Amino acid sequence: MVSNHKATERHIFVMQVVSLALIWLFVSAVTWWISTLIVVSIKLHDAPDASVGISIIVIPIFIALAGVLTYVFVGLQRNQVDHTTHREGEPEQ
Amino acid sequence: MIPDKFKNDPDYILYQPIIEKGRGAYFLGAALLAVLLWVIYMYSTQLRHGLGVTGLNRPISWGFYIVNFVFFIGISHAGTLISAILRLSKAEWRRPITRIAEITTAIVLAIGGLHPILDLGRPDRMLNLIMYGRLQSPLLWDVTAITCYFTASTVYLFLPMIPDIGKLRDMGVSPHWLYAFLSWGWTGTERQKVILERAMNILMVMVIPIAISVHTVISFIFSMTLQPGWHSTIFGPYFVVGAIFSGIAALLLIMIIFRKAFHLEGYLKEIHFQYLGTLLLIMSLLWFYFTFAEYLTGIYGSQPQEMETIHYKFSGDYWPLFWGMALCNFVIPVVILSYRKFKTITGIFIASTAVIVGMWLERLNIVVPSLANPRLPTPPQVYIPSLVEWALFLGGLTVFALAILLFSKFFPIISVWEIQEGRKEGLAAMNKRVAGYQPDIPPQVED
Repeated sequence: MVSNHKATERHIFVMQVVSLALIWLFVSAVTWWISTLIVVSIKLHDAPDASVGISIIVIPIFIALAGVLTYVFVGLQRNQVDHTTHREGEPEQ
Repeated sequence: MIPDKFKNDPDYILYQPIIEKGRGAYFLGAALLAVLLWVIYMYSTQLRHGLGVTGLNRPISWGFYIVNFVFFIGISHAGTLISAILRLSKAEWRRPITRIAEITTAIVLAIGGLHPILDLGRPDRMLNLIMYGRLQSPLLWDVTAITCYFTASTVYLFLPMIPDIGKLRDMGVSPHWLYAFLSWGWTGTERQKVILERAMNILMVMVIPIAISVHTVISFIFSMTLQPGWHSTIFGPYFVVGAIFSGIAALLLIMIIFRKAFHLEGYLKEIHFQYLGTLLLIMSLLWFYFTFAEYLTGIYGSQPQEMETIHYKFSGDYWPLFWGMALCNFVIPVVILSYRKFKTITGIFIASTAVIVGMWLERLNIVVPSLANPRLPTPPQVYIPSLVEWALFLGGLTVFALAILLFSKFFPIISVWEIQEGRKEGLAAMNKRVAGYQPDIPPQVED
């Protein structure tokens, strides 16, 4: 019973890590896409500077969002106690 | 089976719709699904026959799809922006409102963002935008801005939900795996609370400029062209004001519906509606100011083509829509919300419904009459939306209703941990803050 519970928890943890990895994959894809657009527009001299500026801003925002999610995930995982025995408000072990 | 210790929780009513799913929800869900199936069938006719099944023509090449795109994205300002501003300003009355506001944003953004794909006729052509997109087009700025806002809003919705999801996991609510997966190991330790609060503070600051920039960028698809009626420098702020205006109205409507359906009178109190109602009144006046400024400068410029468009809006084929917009966005809300006697929950419901209709008419007034008066001479055309377009509009509303119904059956529609935190710490924190605002008492001057 206990080993079953442990196995489920391990599966869920793996799924959580995979979902976080997918978020980073998405952010990397968006970064690559916008960078490509910027390179093309500079090469072709066809976009006003403002267009490039607006697009560049988006890249750090996406990275910051993924960074915040990673910070929360790692922080919560590192600072958890056994939730099956611990209740909110009680002192931590 | 829910342990008794959880059933004795003073806020159990907030978990009740998740634990005890009534038959009403299933019937409503089934009815919405049936409507959605019909909408999918109607969309399939557009896929088979192309945009010819719509009322679009030359020169009116944008119709309901773009109107609804701007309208839904505007509604999205209900949530994240309002919630972030209220959180940042530490407004204590925000606590029961934020979750509804944030979920509204996430859902309508997803719906609104899909509308340009409907307008493409052939959805596969969306790939061209990704593969051969050119930065010189404001349409591409829209794609990046909306994707960014959607990501930020979803993260901003998810993080404050973690403590409540952790509680649902501990209560043993099914599907247990879902709550275990989404709770991210939350056990409510002090350190975890600090981490979550820090992340939310970062997001609050990030989300406000993102939200404002999104609607500004959406206005650019109009104002960057030389089309009469569109080429305006105030379109950016005008769109932002309109978005916040319609957003607050949508938020009020959804709050009233959930209050009634889930018996949340003890949480969504009269005072919340009074405060948001006042905000709606201010936005109505601000909207009028921007509309007045927009048309006054156009009329004083007296450029022939600009004047033609303005006259067409005032007294042309679409005049009922223009004056209907003025009635719904200004006359009705101002009359209702200015008088204490009318500013009841029923009154606010009527005012909010009027604003939603009015703001939709505003988007229609921006798109259609302007396109009907191009600079190049073209035979006059009137745009009459087809059944397919009406069906897809209904589809957008149905998806919204279905998504928010599903959400409310899996997660608390009011942030429980924030309510409990408010009870425990809110009053003391507020007293401390108010004491901090008070001017210092000057030392007594001795005679």
